[in-house]
Amino acid sequence: MNINPLDFWNPLICIISFIVLIAAIYLFRSRGQKKYKKGTAQTQIFLSGEEAPGAEQQHIKAHNIYWGFFQALKQYYDPAIKAHTGIINDYIIWFIALTAAIAVILFVVGLI
Amino acid sequence: MGLNSFKRALWVYHLNTGSCNGCDIEILAALTPRYDLERLGIVLVGSPRHADVLLVTGPVTRQMAPRLKRIYEQTPDPKVVIAIGSCGIEGGVFYESYNLVGPIDQIIPVDVYVPGCPPRPEAIIEAVVKAWVKLEKAAGQKVA
Repeated sequence: MNINPLDFWNPLICIISFIVLIAAIYLFRSRGQKKYKKGTAQTQIFLSGEEAPGAEQQHIKAHNIYWGFFQALKQYYDPAIKAHTGIINDYIIWFIALTAAIAVILFVVGLI
Repeated sequence: MGLNSFKRALWVYHLNTGSCNGCDIEILAALTPRYDLERLGIVLVGSPRHADVLLVTGPVTRQMAPRLKRIYEQTPDPKVVIAIGSCGIEGGVFYESYNLVGPIDQIIPVDVYVPGCPPRPEAIIEAVVKAWVKLEKAAGQKVA
């Protein structure tokens, strides 16, 4: 009879191995440095001196996939983004200016 | 210095803040077989979070100042800072540069100064030994 060691299964040995492993991890961990100051930079991630970004900033945004697209159309996007100030007064000025321009064009063409 | 000073290995983190690499080469020379600092348990480590000593070279450029400060803060206490080379002590040949915010002791407290352009490995080794004594005093251990 051919016995494969990988087929061997004994719950008691598994439990004992697990306990020994946990004890070893606990022992190893308990011998670590305890003198560091919690809540200071000593507990922060070391990134060669760079500031570690917050957890919410550590993912790659889908926007990055379109980098080439935005780069190619930069000449269009830059003034467009600049025009979108988020101030209602600016939008009303745009609205009045465009309405006036359209009115002038229609007047010149003779439609009004 | 007695055997009490060699109870554990001294871990050193080396940081270049804009050095010409002269001092850095001398630090490496101290680790080569000719001087072989590692036989005394003095080891360069890759993270300040593991270090006892910060070995800082260079006159501290504007870009490196916040990084130097952050690395110092990330080093666990007790810690000792060694400024290696004339640049780190008083700017050296770069002292007039528009781009310097150093020397090192303007950014972080320095415990041991090693002048020279670059200092010889023997001087660096002596500085590390002095730092070690200071570190043990800070840690409350017995120093012979």
